[in-house]
Amino acid sequence: MKRSKSVKLVAMGTGLLLVAACEEAKVDTALFESVKQCTGLGFSVQECESNYREAQRNHVNVAPKYTAKADCEADFGAAQCEVAPQRTSNGGSVFMPLMAGYLMGSMLSGGRTAGQPLYKSANDRSTFRTGDNKPVAKSVGRTQVAQSTTRPASTKTRTVSRGGFGAGARSPMRRSFGG
Amino acid sequence: MERITVEPRDDWRDTAEAHGFRFHTIDDERYWDESACYSFSLREIEDDIEDPTAEIEQMCFEVVQRAIADDAVMARLGIPEDFWDFVADTWSQQHRNLYGRMDFAYDGKGPAKLFEYNADTPTSLYETAVFQWVWLEQAIERGIVPDGSDQFNSLHEALTGSFGQMGLTGTLHVACCKGSEEDEGTVEYIADCARQAGLDPKLIYIEDIGIDTEGRFTDLQDEPITDLFKLYPWEWIMTDEFGRNVPNTNTRFIEPGWKSLLSNKGLLPLLWEMFEGHPNLLPAYFDGDPAAAALGGNYVRKPLFSREGANVEVFENGECTVKVDGDYGAEGHILQAYHPLPEFAGNYPMVGSWLVASQPAGIGIREDTSLVTGNNARFVPHIISE
Repeated sequence: MKRSKSVKLVAMGTGLLLVAACEEAKVDTALFESVKQCTGLGFSVQECESNYREAQRNHVNVAPKYTAKADCEADFGAAQCEVAPQRTSNGGSVFMPLMAGYLMGSMLSGGRTAGQPLYKSANDRSTFRTGDNKPVAKSVGRTQVAQSTTRPASTKTRTVSRGGFGAGARSPMRRSFGG
Repeated sequence: MERITVEPRDDWRDTAEAHGFRFHTIDDERYWDESACYSFSLREIEDDIEDPTAEIEQMCFEVVQRAIADDAVMARLGIPEDFWDFVADTWSQQHRNLYGRMDFAYDGKGPAKLFEYNADTPTSLYETAVFQWVWLEQAIERGIVPDGSDQFNSLHEALTGSFGQMGLTGTLHVACCKGSEEDEGTVEYIADCARQAGLDPKLIYIEDIGIDTEGRFTDLQDEPITDLFKLYPWEWIMTDEFGRNVPNTNTRFIEPGWKSLLSNKGLLPLLWEMFEGHPNLLPAYFDGDPAAAALGGNYVRKPLFSREGANVEVFENGECTVKVDGDYGAEGHILQAYHPLPEFAGNYPMVGSWLVASQPAGIGIREDTSLVTGNNARFVPHIISE
């Protein structure tokens, strides 16, 4: 047979592409507060340490950032914030919550994801959350999360200019800009 | 190869809407046309289209190798000098390519002749991969075409499979220009395939892309764009204001920069120079090359970057017999031997032969009533009958 065995579309024509997928697959993973907890559950020292280090590296980028310590503590609790290595554009300090734990990545999900940091908010100290506030679990150990949760939270940046692409498309209207 | 008149499904419009195919009719003109289909033998498909497509792709790689080692070739292809190193790097670092479409003139009798290669921004993807496939399934079921008919069309499987092997993780931004329903349909389909491969596609218009203080491209939520599928030609990226940031950004583009060497009519004279006499190639020369005298007075003059037939001129016995308007041409031209498309009942079909990750993956036929396949072409499905 020279044709596809099946042609399945998950979202086309349904408008689903513009919002989150509704039936996202769950993946097996695990979260820990320390490398010791991780090795205690039978993972190798190497796996536990590399995921922890990776989570720490990601932490600096994905943790929510504040320009006032009080604002950070209002969200994450007293003494739960630290100074971030970043600086504001006029040299001021930047604050971020402490890393409360980390989510294992690679070996549990086929090498596609990396260890990432988890946080606990002031008004819900029992739940570990990702940097973009997706709840993960209430206790350490093995768990299941939506696939997208295992990806490091997105890093926000500051856009200084838009509209520098598209000049070619401003030529007389045509049906397609591809062809 | 035959053109067969067939009965359109009475509910095809509803079926199209149900499958998210909104551009079946464009500006009140029919685009999807199932009042006929082309019928091929398996031998015609495999020997005359599939194998030559794979072979020409390998020849194209040799052209890329040659271009990145020779600035004069880069210049002849109209690549701005600021992009020579960038284009070469995307090749030497083996940035993966997703797809492309070679356009052939084929009549079932002689060898298919390559007209051009849209290696960068090919459209008619969705209608080939999905709606043509759905048509065949229903056409068999309803007795419109013989039981056991097949189709050269593994495009959907190839796309979903290849997305998973491009080394991508997480978010893939998928971009097209504002104002084209056809292009929006194409990128929505690309996004769907990416999602099925486990990626997280995010649609954005080319015009909405931003740039941050470090020169990284950003989306409307101020998130950096790490991987970008763009249905927007490289030659425009290279001359746009943001283009100068491209060589220094970490954003990975699909198609990769080296595809700008192939989606360029300059490919045709380079192929002819390196593989002169190949049965699937037409003689071609850069405009101004004295060797072009070999074409006599019968040739087609094409701008290096033209799309959908724009600014194409046909010369017969030295006289210009067809001239298509457009706004391309400042970048230079090539001359290609005049080889009219075959005629089937007043229609001139162009066979678009798709590649996914450089492997042949199916065909889609666009038919025009003019010898230059342009914006008014209709998409006509095909079958393989034994």
